[in-house]
Amino acid sequence: MTPSRPAEPILHVDMDAFYASVEALRDPALAGRPVLVGGLGGRGVVASASYEARVYGIHSAMPMARALRLCPQAVVVSPDFAAYQDVSQRLRELFLSVTPLVEPLSLDEAFLDVGGSERLFGPPEVIGALLRDRIRGELGLPASVGVAPNKHLAKLCSGKAKPEGLLHLRAGEVAAFLGRLPIRDLWGVGEQTAARLERFGLRTVADVAGTAGPTLVRIVGHAAAAQLASLAVGEDRRPVVPYEPAKGMSTEETFDRDVDDPAVLRRELLRLAETIARRLRRGEVAARTLTLKIRYANFATVTRSRTLALPTDHATELHAESAALLDALRLERVRVRLLGLGVANLVPAGAARQLRLLDDDRWQQVERAADVARNRFGDAAVTRAALLDDG
Amino acid sequence: MKFRAERSEFADAVMWAQRTVGDRATLPALSGIKLRVDGDRLFLASTNLEIDSALSVPVQGERDGAVLVLGKLLADVVRTLPNAAVTAEVTADVLHLTCGRAQFDLRLMPVEDFPALKEPSADGAVAVMKAEEFARTVAQVARSASTDDARPVLTGVNLEATAGSLTAVATDSYRLAMRTVPWDQGADTTVLVPRRAMEQARHAAEILGSEVSLLLEPAQVTFSFSDRRLVTRLIEGKFPDVRQLIPAGFERRLTVDRAELMEVVKRVAVVGDSNTSVTPVTLHLSADTVLVKAGSGEIGQAEEALPGALEGEDLQIAFNPRYLADGLDAAGSERVVLEFRDELKPAVLRPAPADAEAGPASSRPEADFLYLLMPVRV
Repeated sequence: MTPSRPAEPILHVDMDAFYASVEALRDPALAGRPVLVGGLGGRGVVASASYEARVYGIHSAMPMARALRLCPQAVVVSPDFAAYQDVSQRLRELFLSVTPLVEPLSLDEAFLDVGGSERLFGPPEVIGALLRDRIRGELGLPASVGVAPNKHLAKLCSGKAKPEGLLHLRAGEVAAFLGRLPIRDLWGVGEQTAARLERFGLRTVADVAGTAGPTLVRIVGHAAAAQLASLAVGEDRRPVVPYEPAKGMSTEETFDRDVDDPAVLRRELLRLAETIARRLRRGEVAARTLTLKIRYANFATVTRSRTLALPTDHATELHAESAALLDALRLERVRVRLLGLGVANLVPAGAARQLRLLDDDRWQQVERAADVARNRFGDAAVTRAALLDDG
Repeated sequence: MKFRAERSEFADAVMWAQRTVGDRATLPALSGIKLRVDGDRLFLASTNLEIDSALSVPVQGERDGAVLVLGKLLADVVRTLPNAAVTAEVTADVLHLTCGRAQFDLRLMPVEDFPALKEPSADGAVAVMKAEEFARTVAQVARSASTDDARPVLTGVNLEATAGSLTAVATDSYRLAMRTVPWDQGADTTVLVPRRAMEQARHAAEILGSEVSLLLEPAQVTFSFSDRRLVTRLIEGKFPDVRQLIPAGFERRLTVDRAELMEVVKRVAVVGDSNTSVTPVTLHLSADTVLVKAGSGEIGQAEEALPGALEGEDLQIAFNPRYLADGLDAAGSERVVLEFRDELKPAVLRPAPADAEAGPASSRPEADFLYLLMPVRV
């Protein structure tokens, strides 16, 4: 460690109401209105709610039906993960412009270790503010930033800074800051752990910090007690682990109603294959292994994999292969709740490509042309006839 | 049922029948081999519902009868038997095997559950081929068939019979192998035979020698050997029209020593070998030299040159080394001719006519083999 390393080198950058904000950016008419991103179907949940919607008590993971009862005038938008991924990619590039130590947690949040960036960009809180301003200026989106001595505290700070704020927690103020917080704010404390702690009168982080080790062990067990005790005093030694290229990708669909029609399953597979193939092409990789995942109505889940002779980034081929795996299961009127398709064994696509004698790569060209059209005119611009709604 | 058999003959018959034993999951009886003694012959049968195998071996029969035993278990047992005569006797629901001082009791399965096997029609016109030529043809062609069930028609070998010739073709869409042999049966028929059935028939032809007779029918094909028979179901669907894929001409032609090129390709390809992707080998062709290169800066690189005579302009073309080596291996001749248009068009590989005996096609057994190979775009 260099002597000049700052005391609070860790940033946690978290986008505010990410999906909803992206949607508002794409359709300015949505700005300032309660926006819910998520599925409208029977089992749809809120994936993201704008701040205007949160006023009504709506939060993510809430069933859509309930959210709409709370705020009937909310605008519901179905999620467009490809668009979010695009923004996420640009976000990541922005992060990487200030430090190589970027650990993404999801599409819209990441830890950054800017301990080595001070001479180039200034102290961490300045870098944090710079990132927030650049995200607003370059992506047109709101983000909140936590600046703290470690990951756990940085994440707490960004949460307290929302919306579009920055909270810098100095090393000397950790105890005072943490002490007041409810135990629920600690990493890894869920409903059950919280309830158990509260039964012993432990409500704030300070209460936990002041509890003797053996007592804590009796309440929550060995492993959790050790973690809880160090988090309660603001200790967290986990380093920021930089992003590694994806080893695989997957997508899945939970049906509104269980499906037992093989034709519908095959069609859904085509949709999943399209999604995966686009993501492969966007990432300029091709996959050699594909995995079909099926969850039956009774929640039993099976997966079937196949490794191809040659890697592909080709929806038609992914569909044919996954449909063969589906056929091999010989489902006869079995009710299926969820269908998923994943790929792994990724290789750079730009490299050598084995040409074919048959079908002349025509589908491949069609798919690439469709990519171009969708990138320019939006996702609905081009689709397969098989995926058009009936009627 | 009771019989006495030679260990090696019995073991060989069981192993062969075991190759087409079915999958226990679908129907338990399919995982069995049916043994039937009739006089001094033991008949064995197995089926996986795609291929039916039947054969008979001479035994000393003492009591007629038929039983069904678990194929894998029986095969595992006979594989380990000492080299002595085998005595088999059924008592109640057990097959009792004795060989030297070894004794086995194998539980029987209900023989009445074993399905009836497909029968060739009695009046069908049968064509006869030399076993050696049949085995060679299958070996040359079948490996180009696809192993990918997503496109079932490509997992088979297409047999096209016309007056005087039989053409066998297989392709996995990356390469294609085609062989034409004389055929002594006149009727025009085309059948698409599962690759595994062809391999099983080849195996029989190789160990038995002599002759194989083929009966092509609309729904099944029968391969018969002296004491063995295979009846296979066909793959449904239309095999692609492959003749239109074969280029009519060429712009460059390379003549090169087959074994030498194969050795160089395999050696150089080692640096490109990786689990996740196939790294191509690139052939740099000039007037009298073939330079074979593979690899990248990341793993390592290799190159090796060998003599080769090129007609036409210099060319750089890349191939999957496995597909190229497969084609060279299948060609079998001393030298091969490779015809190219450009680096993105299919190449044609043929055995080169031997200089000494450049006679009519019928006197050159390899001249009717063709291997079509798609390049890799780099």
